Amino acid sequence: MNGADKINLILGELAGVASDPHGYAAAWKQETGRKVIGVFPMNFPSELVHAAGALPLVVQEDEAPITLGRSLLYEFYCGYTRSIVDQAATRKFDVYDAFYLVDHCVALLGAADALRFEIPDKPVFLAQYTASMDEAWTPAEIRKRVEDLRGALAEYCDAALSDDEIAASIAAYNRNRDMLRQIYALRRSGKIALTGRQMQILVKSSMIMEVGAHNERLDALLPLLETGLPAPANLVKLHLSGHFCHAPRPELLDMIEDCGTVIVDDDLFTGFRFIATDVPADGDPIAALTRWYFDRNTHVPCSTRSQMTVDWEEYLARSVHASGAEGVIILLAKFCEPHMLYYPELRKELMRSEIPHLLIETEHEGLALEMLRTRVEALLETIRLRKLQPVLA
Amino acid sequence: MSLIKQNAQPKLVIPQTGAPANRLVSTRSGGKMVKDYWDRLFSARERGATVVWYNGAALNPIFQAAGIEWCHGEAFGARLAAMHLEGPAQRMGEEYGYNQELCSYARTTLGCAVLTQKEAAKYVNAGDGADVPDIPSQEVLASKLPPPDLFVNAYAGCSTGQQWDEISYRLFNKELPFFKVSYPLLWGNKADAGYLRGEEWMEASRYVAAQIHKLIEFLEFHTGRPFDWDALRESMHYIKKAAQLRLDALALCKATPTPAVFWDWVASIAPINFLPGNQDLVDYFAGVKAEIEQRVIDGVAALPGERYRLAFDGIMNWNKVGWLANQFADHDAAVICGRYTHSSFWNEPHLIDEDDPILGMAQHYLLCPFNHSTKTLGELLLRDCETYGIDGVVFHATRTCRSASNGQMVMAKMAQARGIQTMVLEGDVADASFYKDEILMSRLEAMLETIDVRRRNF
Ligand code: SF4
Ligand code: SF4
Repeated sequence: MNGADKINLILGELAGVASDPHGYAAAWKQETGRKVIGVFPMNFPSELVHAAGALPLVVQEDEAPITLGRSLLYEFYCGYTRSIVDQAATRKFDVYDAFYLVDHCVALLGAADALRFEIPDKPVFLAQYTASMDEAWTPAEIRKRVEDLRGALAEYCDAALSDDEIAASIAAYNRNRDMLRQIYALRRSGKIALTGRQMQILVKSSMIMEVGAHNERLDALLPLLETGLPAPANLVKLHLSGHFCHAPRPELLDMIEDCGTVIVDDDLFTGFRFIATDVPADGDPIAALTRWYFDRNTHVPCSTRSQMTVDWEEYLARSVHASGAEGVIILLAKFCEPHMLYYPELRKELMRSEIPHLLIETEHEGLALEMLRTRVEALLETIRLRKLQPVLA
Repeated sequence: MSLIKQNAQPKLVIPQTGAPANRLVSTRSGGKMVKDYWDRLFSARERGATVVWYNGAALNPIFQAAGIEWCHGEAFGARLAAMHLEGPAQRMGEEYGYNQELCSYARTTLGCAVLTQKEAAKYVNAGDGADVPDIPSQEVLASKLPPPDLFVNAYAGCSTGQQWDEISYRLFNKELPFFKVSYPLLWGNKADAGYLRGEEWMEASRYVAAQIHKLIEFLEFHTGRPFDWDALRESMHYIKKAAQLRLDALALCKATPTPAVFWDWVASIAPINFLPGNQDLVDYFAGVKAEIEQRVIDGVAALPGERYRLAFDGIMNWNKVGWLANQFADHDAAVICGRYTHSSFWNEPHLIDEDDPILGMAQHYLLCPFNHSTKTLGELLLRDCETYGIDGVVFHATRTCRSASNGQMVMAKMAQARGIQTMVLEGDVADASFYKDEILMSRLEAMLETIDVRRRNF
């Protein structure tokens, strides 16, 4: 088997996990006899669930059209939340023993509450993290919530959840994030050719698979990638931005690349945002998980958080500069309030920095790929014309 | 289309009287008080006053005691929508980049913020090449707010409410002081959790109270004046009295036929939500209560032909209030209670300790009607249905407000399980374009017919 075959074999296995999270979880549960806990995006410290001996699974959007979920949430909620309640109503959540969340996006809370009504036998625990990060008293408040989680999980999983166990889980997750970041760095530098779909598989599967098992796959994959083929140099380099909580459809990524582009970087949740930040490895693990929450927003700012000193748009412009991306496609999940609210700030900065960009709204059902292709091509036209400007001048 | 059961039944032809509604006369003075408040606010700059822009909870007694003038963002958005003047601000918001699916309160007020920053003129430049043509200048002026000196955000139950001020802060170039109060949702992880009870409730109350103390320190710092605690106690004394009068008056509407309707209470939202705590406020609600008492004595009904008693769940539809009131009245449907009017706005005055009001104030802020679990919301709805003898519930599915829409479908199921009819009204808080009037009418008629059928059968 050559290197490419080996890469494909690993990616194939991870693609299977990414496309069937509940199948993976059911098999894991059968094998281990332990609990599967659904955790909701975007700031949940999975380390605690892992340290409690359960499988933390970041609940994914399901591709199925919304059916029974329509009787739980109106159609003007984001695709992720509608899919969650639909999966609950259509009994796809049987594999989970409980659900935990820390984020307080208004749509997510509505969905979690509807889920609580629909499947009352499954505990749904909210340890609401204060979204405003500027106040001197917020860290102490977050620490209390981390401790609440620790207490609730210890009780629910009948686990000790000792400092050492948490520290071991933190180390495993940091390693996972680090390896994924190395792959990102290789992609950014153009040293490897990894498609958007493949990158998504790597991150998405890390949200599902037991972290130790995922680390084994990445351990095998990284050296193979390092010796692989570089990305073609003649493609337009793009940065993908946004798309909170759930992954954009892979077909959309394929289409964008088919137009003659290469995705060099992103700040998608099912992307760099998810793996950008490590938990401090030393000292009190509860303090470290508290710190992680704040660090995440300074590393890759998120408009679901409220922080006066941090600006997503600045981060975006900086990242584009660092990766050499020639344009940005903002992927906005329809009805995603925190993203809609922040979009004009992003647009202003991209215009100010003269970075060509395109806004694409995605929906749970219906992806008008051909229409979108025309818009992507128009963006590429702008980028190419800009490249020619110095020649034409 | 919503799958909430619309209870389709065979059609009965029952004549509706559609007799004109008797709106309360006493609420008119509230309109004047509110107008005077805004007029005074618009001249704040000329008077050299400090102005705070705030969103969310009724922090006005704090500002009053701090000696600064307060501009409530949602109230301003509601005011524009009620006057049908939201257009220029919303168009400004759209030019600035806001999607129509975004909270229309936020869109309106952020549009105002952009307008406030620009010179009000025939053409208003959005700063990135976006021009808003053809806005008559007096409408632009109507959308202009007195510029802020500081921001305070205190939005319970809705993440958008908090993020909105984060943007306002940025629109003013991140130069103004900004304080945020954060609220936990009253979610109910623990078995003892419930309305006004349990460890979570007390913990959340103390957390918010501590933040209010910090807010007071922030205001002292920025005004350079010590906070006037006596002034706070005094205004909370009046607010507590006014709130109790309002509750007493609401309770009088248990009578059949009801002496006042939801739409009368909507007219009293602004006074209880943001007018100064003083004797005028007490007099206003004393007047409302007296008028209702007299109606009960005289047997005067709000709707002379009252045939149906309904509840209204959700946030208000400011640009359609009058229209909706008429539609329901035309069908002899008395909307008697609502989440927005009955479960909000200093609605538990017994919590306020006049000598030490902060904890009780914090608790009211937590009691925002969008800051409860669905279970609690459903229980409060069923409680009101029983109190007021409700036949049916109208759920306002508010297109751009996920916060007010959360839980509604579950609440509808809870009501249906009790034999209460339900319908969904699709609309919005401050964007009239989301209404489909004919659908609303046919759903209302279907629900009223079902109520008739049930009455005949039971
Ligand atoms: S942040 Fe956006 S995508 Fe995530 S739950 Fe909220 S609305 Fe949906
Ligand atoms: S979405 Fe609703 S609750 Fe939230 S800020 Fe807008 S109007 Fe207020």
